[in-house]
Amino acid sequence: MLFRPNPSSGVPIYLQLMEQVKHGIETGALRPGEQLPGIRPLAEELVINPNTVAKAYRELEHEGVIELRHGAGAFVSGQVREKKLTDRLRAGQTIVAAAVERLHARGVTDEEIRRLFEAELAGLSRSGGERG
Amino acid sequence: MADTFIIETADLRKHYDGVEAVRGLSLQVPAGSIYGFLGRNGAGKTTTIKLLLGMARPTGGRARVFGLAADEDRASVDIRRRTGFVSDDKDLYDYMTVAEMIRFTAAFFPRWRADLEQRYLRAFALPLDRKIKALSRGMRTKLALLLALCRGAELLILDEPTAGLDPAMTEEVLQALVTHVAAEEMTVFFSSHQIAEVDQIADRVAIIDRGRAVLTGALDDLRESYRRIQLVFDGDAPEPAFRAPGVVRVRRKGRVLTVLSSAGAERILDEARALNPVSVDVVPVTLKEIFLETVTVED
Amino acid sequence: MLWYKSWLETRWRFVIGLVLLMLSACGTVLSYPQVVKLLPLAPTVQVSGEIGRRVSEAMELARTYRGFVWSEWFRQNMLQTWGLFAVLLGTGGLLSQASGGGALFTLSLPATRSRLLGVRAATGLAELLVLAFVPSLLLPALSPIVGQTYGIGEALVHGACVFIAGSVFFSLAFLLSTVFSGVWPPLLIAICVAAVLRLFDVVLRDMSRYSVFGVMSGETYFRGGGLPWLGLVASAAASAAMLYGAVLNIARRDF
Repeated sequence: MLFRPNPSSGVPIYLQLMEQVKHGIETGALRPGEQLPGIRPLAEELVINPNTVAKAYRELEHEGVIELRHGAGAFVSGQVREKKLTDRLRAGQTIVAAAVERLHARGVTDEEIRRLFEAELAGLSRSGGERG
Repeated sequence: MADTFIIETADLRKHYDGVEAVRGLSLQVPAGSIYGFLGRNGAGKTTTIKLLLGMARPTGGRARVFGLAADEDRASVDIRRRTGFVSDDKDLYDYMTVAEMIRFTAAFFPRWRADLEQRYLRAFALPLDRKIKALSRGMRTKLALLLALCRGAELLILDEPTAGLDPAMTEEVLQALVTHVAAEEMTVFFSSHQIAEVDQIADRVAIIDRGRAVLTGALDDLRESYRRIQLVFDGDAPEPAFRAPGVVRVRRKGRVLTVLSSAGAERILDEARALNPVSVDVVPVTLKEIFLETVTVED
Repeated sequence: MLWYKSWLETRWRFVIGLVLLMLSACGTVLSYPQVVKLLPLAPTVQVSGEIGRRVSEAMELARTYRGFVWSEWFRQNMLQTWGLFAVLLGTGGLLSQASGGGALFTLSLPATRSRLLGVRAATGLAELLVLAFVPSLLLPALSPIVGQTYGIGEALVHGACVFIAGSVFFSLAFLLSTVFSGVWPPLLIAICVAAVLRLFDVVLRDMSRYSVFGVMSGETYFRGGGLPWLGLVASAAASAAMLYGAVLNIARRDF
């Protein structure tokens, strides 16, 4: 994995991991069919609870982002699913770009924009699993 | 998975001539979890651990480990046979060498893991021939941890495992714990007042204050349900009476009203918006903030 | 491994005690020729009071080698030194720092408190047994050097009396160390008790053969009256009771 999650941020670590996997897929750092690190080695490397890694992987499988092959490990989902994901993200990117442009036009700064988005997401979410 | 509780206490009490160290503590540690036991100094963490291991007898309530009564002599020996313990002072036998200490401890545990012993001796770089009184605090902690990890135990009870250690060693200790839990069927119960390490490896927490558990639950649940809502008003912030449940604390300072909620942030937000604030911010709450709020609330 | 731990904790006290007692035994035997030379001077010594009485009694006993050995070794040197080490070996243990810290570690092991205490008591008593017999057996071994003989049987009997009766001092220190944490209080209290008992000996001279020290020295046996069975049984019982009390103390203690 390319980064360390921030355990003290108040955001569940498993959500941070899920986010990073999705981001990796979107940017192409993780390709369809590519194997993800095993639960144990990843937990050891990041020094976090193995149950947390397991939870992240389970949720990602539930969302169709990855596949857990019994005995073999975790793999990024194949072509079709990946396309759905990047399509969704690309559409999302367009919406966000437009919104940011309009907010800039009103004189809202980047930092304020970030806080608005975080507040909106934090305020609306019931639990992490229902998002996305 | 969580239907067996490795540790379970019900209204546990301990009175030490005139001081009530534990005043009705109830908690449940599910099998396979890493359970962080947070509290200020003197809140009753060490006493609770002593009660679980039969080093002291409760004056009230009940404590069970592996389903066995912790205050019964024979049951307590069984409990200790299946548990690895590291005390907060990490005291071992000063006059023994590292090698002697290991041989001494191994003799009590038929399930001693010689393979793990070799691995940790190498990983921790412990000098076999050095007397324990000549070891630094960090080395003593690592040795104590080795002695706990190699005995083939199903439960680890650690009292402030990283106290007094520098960040590098703290990370080494946490890594050894995480690696061990990943490979073996283990439950870890550790007390700490270092919130960062609880954040990092625990999946369940209990916050103890003045001998009582003031908050228990899965750490992720806490992270997902606690919110800090910040409202800024045009004039002075009003004195609101929130009807929605889950409000832990409301603070007014000039034009800012800050609400800490433990659940149901949306309903509180609805009520808050009705007060016509100029801006509304909803942010996650860190475990540190939750801790500071819950242990200072009662006065 | 508990035995090994107890050994590590007590070995220096044991070794020093053994060396001191063996040297003392040698010294006693080898000093006999000097004493013999001084005997003719006995009637010229006129010291009054208690000291005078003791000196003349000692001189009287020294007329025979057996009497000399009993008076110097079993009634005095051996008694005092061995008694001191009995108290020394009885202190230390779970409550004190003498075990090098680690009380909580010990208590976290899968062993009952009675077993922990039992091993410590047994180790101490075994060491005291050696301290009672080995130096005593040096007497028959070395006596030929000064042209005398001393019976092995006699040495063994006296050694046994020292051990059995004197075990009360060990047990007292042992019991006290389950009441007081730290090394000094049990030590000092036990020594005070011994000193007080010694005082009674001096004051009640005629009863002295029935006191603890009298039984330890095997006075009735020396004087041909047979073994002090009652005293030995009473001492053994008192020791056992105190050790049991120690176990009870530790069993119900909170750490």
